[in-house]
Amino acid sequence: MKKAYFISLVGLLFLFGFTTIQTADNCDKKTLTASCKKKLDQFKYDSQKFTKINFTKKAQQLEVEVPIFIGEKYRLVFNTSGLPKNIKINIYTKDKEAKKREAIFTTKDVKSDDKEFVFDAPRARKMFVDYDVPADSTNAKLTGCMIFMVGYK
Amino acid sequence: MFLKKKSFALKGAFFIAASMIFAACGSENTKEENINTPSEDSVVAEVETQEITYSLPSPLQIASIFKKSGLKYKAGITSKMIDPAKYTTNINKSINLGVYTADLSYAVLNKQNQEAMTYMKLSRKLADNLGMGSVFDQGNLSKRFEKNLSNDDSLAFIIAELQMVTDMYLDENDQQQVTSIVFSGAWIESMYIASKVFEKEKDKSLNNKLAEQMTILGSIINALKAEEKKDPAISGLIADMTTVKEIYDALPSVKNNPEASEDIETELTLTDDEVTQLTSKIEALRFKFING
Repeated sequence: MKKAYFISLVGLLFLFGFTTIQTADNCDKKTLTASCKKKLDQFKYDSQKFTKINFTKKAQQLEVEVPIFIGEKYRLVFNTSGLPKNIKINIYTKDKEAKKREAIFTTKDVKSDDKEFVFDAPRARKMFVDYDVPADSTNAKLTGCMIFMVGYK
Repeated sequence: MFLKKKSFALKGAFFIAASMIFAACGSENTKEENINTPSEDSVVAEVETQEITYSLPSPLQIASIFKKSGLKYKAGITSKMIDPAKYTTNINKSINLGVYTADLSYAVLNKQNQEAMTYMKLSRKLADNLGMGSVFDQGNLSKRFEKNLSNDDSLAFIIAELQMVTDMYLDENDQQQVTSIVFSGAWIESMYIASKVFEKEKDKSLNNKLAEQMTILGSIINALKAEEKKDPAISGLIADMTTVKEIYDALPSVKNNPEASEDIETELTLTDDEVTQLTSKIEALRFKFING
């Protein structure tokens, strides 16, 4: 009887270990949140958005709409340290369907080892945060997560 | 005999293992917003464009915007402090958690700190009923709120922190739809409060802010639609919120100024009659929300 329990226990331990490996994706949300919160400085926390990114053979684009209000001052903080590869972040005041739009913020020219970005927004009605995720031809099934936090004052 | 037992134990362990692996694999796809749809046949240069998602503001920010525009405190217009046990469905609990949060923010920003304490306790009860009461204990938020009742600035920062731990909790538990539902309740309550104060004051700045708030209603509805699959009860809420948008979009001042929702220099002013049309609908919806 003891052996039966022992075998069951070993099975369960194996399972918990396996499950942990399966769900691990370098995404320590508490650390990412705490880091962004520090960068808000005097801005009051408003909202945050986590995005899980799986790198595939196709490049991907994701857009997040952020409604903002005239007269308020906003700060956006991004942290990409949970991603295995760099992505490009652009912010626009029009959505991706708009015929003509210009980025009001881009990480295009930042150093590749920079993982945290702070952006103080100009007057606008809305912001559209775009993530340009590069293709990954290695078939390594890279995955990770990133966060952006919005603060206001 | 031992072999039989051993075989049974092994089968049991194998069954549990299979179930857990299956559950883990399943949750991988649904746990968070997942932006890939892998395809072995994809062309490398092709860009896969995903559905747009939404990041809604906090109820405290909405209350703060109205406060800055001159919204004064008026006793008796916030929701009655009804026993949260009255709300039995998750969607009603979430909507009214939003209503209480808006009332809490209004009370704090207007230095009505005892009233704020009561709404804090009611919010806690509703959060408990939703199984997320633990967020109030993180970083001793409840206790800190009570200790700082005489310090308005600290209370506002504590509410902002409560919002942050709530967002975190809902994200970790794959309940992002609750964020949109709670905000819908909070937004209707904030609009109701502002409209009741406007009835008395007829303040132009408040009128402008009521109109400005309407520009985010489309985002709220779209955020709810994006989460509709997770909770079919959201459909009714989407329909309710859409009726408000339809009334607003049909107002002559709105139809005659289509650029106002995008132009940062234009402040839309509604006529008193238009405000009445809009706020009557908001009042009716708010009545429906708080009566469960």
